[in-house]
Amino acid sequence: MTTFALLLFAGLALGGVYALIALGFTVIYRASRIINFAQGELLALGAVLTAWLVSAHGLPFWLAFAIGAAATAAAGLAFQYLVLRFAIGKPDFTIVMLTLGLATVVSAALDAKFGAVPISNGDPWGSSVLHVAGLGLPWVQIWTIITAVLLLAAFWLFNRRSKYGLAMRATASDPEAALSVGISLRRVHAIAWGLAGLVACVGGVFLGGYPNSVSPQISDVALLAFPAIILGGIDSTTGAVTGGFIIGVVQELTAGYQPEYATWLGQNFYLVAPYVVMIIVLLVRPYGLFGSRPAERL
Amino acid sequence: MSRVLTAVTTSPARAASIAAVVVGVLLPFWVGAYWLSALVWVLIFALGALGLDVLTGRTGQISLGHAFFLSVGAYTGAVLGLTLHLSALLWIPAGGAVAAVVGALVAPTALRLKGMYLAIVSIGLVYLGQYIFTNVSYFSGGPGGRSMPIPAFGSLNFANGLSIGPIFINDDGLYYYLAFILLGLGMLFVRNVSRTHLGRSMTAVRDGELAGAVLGVNVARTKITAFVVSSFIAGIAGAMYGSYLNFATPGQFDLGLSVQFVAMIIVGGMGSLWGPVLGGLFVWGLQSELDSLASSLPFLQGGAHTSGIPVGDAAAIVYGLLLIVFLLLEPRGVVGLGHRAALLARRRHVLSRGPAVISSVTDSDTQTHQKVR
Amino acid sequence: MIEAGSVPDAAPAIGPAALEVSDLSLRFGAVAALDHVSFTVGVGQLFAVIGPNGAGKTSLFNVLSCIYPPSEGTVRCFGVDLSERRPHQLAHMGIARTFQNLGLFPTMSVIDNVLVGRTHLMRWGTLSAGLSLPWSRREERLHRNAAMEAVDFAGLAGIAGTPVGALAYGIRKKVELARAIAMEPQLLLLDEPVAGMSQAERADVVALVQAIRDRYTPTVVLVEHDMSTVMALAERIVVLDFGQVIAVGSPVEIQANPDVINAYLGKPEGLLAELGEGVIGTREDSPQ
Repeated sequence: MTTFALLLFAGLALGGVYALIALGFTVIYRASRIINFAQGELLALGAVLTAWLVSAHGLPFWLAFAIGAAATAAAGLAFQYLVLRFAIGKPDFTIVMLTLGLATVVSAALDAKFGAVPISNGDPWGSSVLHVAGLGLPWVQIWTIITAVLLLAAFWLFNRRSKYGLAMRATASDPEAALSVGISLRRVHAIAWGLAGLVACVGGVFLGGYPNSVSPQISDVALLAFPAIILGGIDSTTGAVTGGFIIGVVQELTAGYQPEYATWLGQNFYLVAPYVVMIIVLLVRPYGLFGSRPAERL
Repeated sequence: MSRVLTAVTTSPARAASIAAVVVGVLLPFWVGAYWLSALVWVLIFALGALGLDVLTGRTGQISLGHAFFLSVGAYTGAVLGLTLHLSALLWIPAGGAVAAVVGALVAPTALRLKGMYLAIVSIGLVYLGQYIFTNVSYFSGGPGGRSMPIPAFGSLNFANGLSIGPIFINDDGLYYYLAFILLGLGMLFVRNVSRTHLGRSMTAVRDGELAGAVLGVNVARTKITAFVVSSFIAGIAGAMYGSYLNFATPGQFDLGLSVQFVAMIIVGGMGSLWGPVLGGLFVWGLQSELDSLASSLPFLQGGAHTSGIPVGDAAAIVYGLLLIVFLLLEPRGVVGLGHRAALLARRRHVLSRGPAVISSVTDSDTQTHQKVR
Repeated sequence: MIEAGSVPDAAPAIGPAALEVSDLSLRFGAVAALDHVSFTVGVGQLFAVIGPNGAGKTSLFNVLSCIYPPSEGTVRCFGVDLSERRPHQLAHMGIARTFQNLGLFPTMSVIDNVLVGRTHLMRWGTLSAGLSLPWSRREERLHRNAAMEAVDFAGLAGIAGTPVGALAYGIRKKVELARAIAMEPQLLLLDEPVAGMSQAERADVVALVQAIRDRYTPTVVLVEHDMSTVMALAERIVVLDFGQVIAVGSPVEIQANPDVINAYLGKPEGLLAELGEGVIGTREDSPQ
């Protein structure tokens, strides 16, 4: 029972990270119909930069994190401004490949500069653990869940209550109509990418916490957020969050139980379990749990 | 009527193709060992890219799962060729056949999915494949990898080379010619298909699926066919790829490999016959070029200096940038650039003739240029 | 006041009607795009569907194209119930359609676009195609000739090899018509064939449609806004508004129908003026 509780908690923490990544992705998609395959690389950028500032330059963690988050948001904005705004309206395929191209470049650049040795995260909570109800819950996971929930709540408030949130929802629904009522699409896109960069960095820092370390390969882990995004429905923020938590829990439970109870599934099944779950969901609901079908005009 | 047909297959294009074939046959005798090896890779990658182009470039199905089908071909070849000691005449086609069967099994699931959803599921395919092959060591030798077969049929074994009269062709040369023949056959097949109702159906599915359906195109059947043909070609390319690597690990058939292929068809020119070849030349040729220059370029890691950017990363950065540039500026790839150059040449030729001719030629030309994507 | 299904001048049916729409409703959530629509199209007739914007004409065509299944009611084409069918089965049933927003494939030539329409007649599979086997080549030649006939009939022989994306709008509409003919249809559905055209282009298309009817005698169902075209071509007309049938009858009857007039403009004078200018008389007179 304790194993289950621990695994579940870990799953919620991981799910929180995925939910943040998925949210960033969905926000961009809703604002501009852009499918950002580079979300994982943005995460890696944020995580690596933060860790590097702490370990190589001795900056205090919070400062390093602030710089890392700002840099990641800036990178996202730069890409949006320099490349992606020319791609709006082009077919899905083009946009997917553009962001994949970006992902390739960022991944290679990070690998070239930081690839050699994994860096420690430098976060303040390290491997410390909170003992409660007979369970040893790692502080990193506790903070992950708390931060994820706070950020998600903040986003929900922003979305529902602020005028920029309203602007973003309007743009998601009908960009032309939004334009015609005076919403600055450029600002909406900037906010979307800035937000996405910020949550990516947060996700990356937590992902790089104990027991992981930070290296550019961390983007591979972030890639698992994609099944979460799809399973939730790419145009739904509720879906993103739900999908994130589902995949996180599935992954941790699988990683925990599969070696014991289903050895026939071999090694590392937990890495494909998210995809399996995603495919099963898609067979039943081709647009994800909360996604909607795009209209096709004839 | 026949005038229409001959207008479509212009003789300059045919002459150029023949010239390319002749050059291709003679090339191994001119280039050094390093470049011969690079060319073998180019041909194998071009074949793989040809397969991807059938699915993505011609039928419009976004697939990032190409590495998976390559791995199926490679491991089929490995098991049949090395574990079971069968002739290459068997294991190379078998690589294609098994991959085709897998493609047929995957296709129905892909039917219901569009765009982004299909892309992500195809990524899942790569991970699924890596997971399966890592665990089933009979095929792959486990995560540590395994040896791959060297083509041998009848008395010919690639490892020993081949003597024809005074000419000796070494193993690289034999690989080159085999890849050359396979690529040529593949291109012929794809070209033939493109001239029939199947080719037109693929274009219809890509450019207007619903309209096509209303006109009588069986969209489901077309997509499944595209998957099968694409994975067959990928399987053959995979068998060759594994073989030329000589030793392969499941980790090599990763998402990055799939992305390389997509970059190839985009840079080369999607939906065009020579696109995959040009793409292979650009992307792989680039890597080889960087490799050979590594010791002389200061910011690259190689040879004497251990600092600097590893060549693989440098190549990835460059082809990532190429991808972005081409997508934004010339989505029709190098082939598209070729068309533009030809257009420019024609216009200049016409301009030198005088005003009366210009309006009739340039109007339709600019229209062609603007409207055909 | 003409009521659906009770028109005295309807030709007696021999065998099943070309198109029989009974009590057809199509709902998207709470919105009824079509509301209990009924009408019958006789074999060989040229039947027009008109109505203000948003009346449900395109929805009707989409149901006829098996893109949406009806929420209620049935559609029968030569006796066959369409509600169980998928879009790609239409061609086999002898139904061909043109599209309001052009269902052409821009990278393909005129003749290749037309050939897409003949896909349902072509049997030989991938292997035969890829290996360029004799029977596959023969089939391709045969159908290419047939397609060329249709292209020629539409007056497009000179540009048969041109990519469709390079052609002017009016020409592209004709390519759509050529493709529809090449499908050898018994029922031809034309979705706003003269939308966005100049007077001359419209006359061209009208002449082509009439030539098609004379030569191939399919039943034609036409959705159109342009009154002059409708009056020049149609033998019978159904008028839709807000998804409902408000009138069915001959052109003369429809012109005079007060409900029709109200539906269009709410002011009798306005529509009369439009109808008056546009109407050149009955179908036999040629438009100016």
